[in-house]
Amino acid sequence: MEEKVITVTSGKGGVGKTTTTANIGAALALLGKKVVVLDGDIGLRNLDIVMGLENRIVYDVVDYVEGRCRLRQALIRDKRAPELYLLPTAQTRDKTAINPEQMVQVCDELRKEFDYIIIDSPAGIEQGFQNALAPADRVLVVTNPEVSSVRDADRVIGLVESHEKGPVQLIINRLIPARVKKQEMLSTQDIMDVLSTEIIGIVPEDEAILSSSNRGTPVVFNGKSPAAIAYRDIARRLIGENVPLTQPQTTSWWQRLLGKTE
Amino acid sequence: MNFLERLFGKRSSAETAKQRLQLVLVHDRAEIPPGVLALIKDDIIAVISRRVNIDREHVVVNVTHEDKASKLVVDIPLLSGTDGQAPGRSGSNAQRSTRRTPSASS
Repeated sequence: MEEKVITVTSGKGGVGKTTTTANIGAALALLGKKVVVLDGDIGLRNLDIVMGLENRIVYDVVDYVEGRCRLRQALIRDKRAPELYLLPTAQTRDKTAINPEQMVQVCDELRKEFDYIIIDSPAGIEQGFQNALAPADRVLVVTNPEVSSVRDADRVIGLVESHEKGPVQLIINRLIPARVKKQEMLSTQDIMDVLSTEIIGIVPEDEAILSSSNRGTPVVFNGKSPAAIAYRDIARRLIGENVPLTQPQTTSWWQRLLGKTE
Repeated sequence: MNFLERLFGKRSSAETAKQRLQLVLVHDRAEIPPGVLALIKDDIIAVISRRVNIDREHVVVNVTHEDKASKLVVDIPLLSGTDGQAPGRSGSNAQRSTRRTPSASS
């Protein structure tokens, strides 16, 4: 089956799901794919602000499900890529506003028009997560090299497998190579040993991420920063290119002097 | 991890994190909280020692996780010699652990 619907989830909050969704969506669009990113976090929407599209929302996915607009009216076009759209969610409703069947129906509509539908799952394992999981063809679990997010990732991987969804792949986010080297932080190998799940990307901690969300411009749009490179590599792996997994390197003082971030 | 910690053979925090995770995930996956395992151990000791004498101090009850299946692994060293003739032992065919008492004979 063609893996069109990709759900980005994690269990634990604050590990970088929304940033990951925005950047992978944008990177796929820059590769010439027709992409929609869908905010799955009803009541706590943030994909719009991270992408800098918050001022353009008129309708959202709940309006569509409840028949107040057509799907096309709820889609916001991101002009920075040829074919990139945001489907925002409602800010003043709660998770019960949409059920998993409706989510599957929305995605079935989107499948007709788009190459990829990337869903930003809310944290937790309750209905919001079940909604995001229901239409998924592929699941990306984001984790940080830190005990609580790794433990939650294991729980989520178990739940995804018990729903017979998948394949499940792991994104290690915010890795700090220098601290791994000093054995102060779990390494990629440690996390692989513990979770025994395939890793699709390793995103290093990167100062450029905070300034990119400050501005509402995902790093893949204009960056040569380490995170931008990592996200572009993940997008290329998703479309089936063979991009070897590389370990982020520690940056030396002279690299920092030359300025690796914008 | 600084030089002194290394010199005194202190484990790195990343290593500790990995070991703690591996332990807690075994229990998470098996859906058995660690405290329940302690209760199971007490129950097993009570049941087995009705028939044979066992080395209570060295009973080990663990959950292992291999190939997505969880297993409860119990290791019960038996006490040998005349101590082994516990009440009501007749008919039992307990296999002796040779770990603690290699020359077991009654």
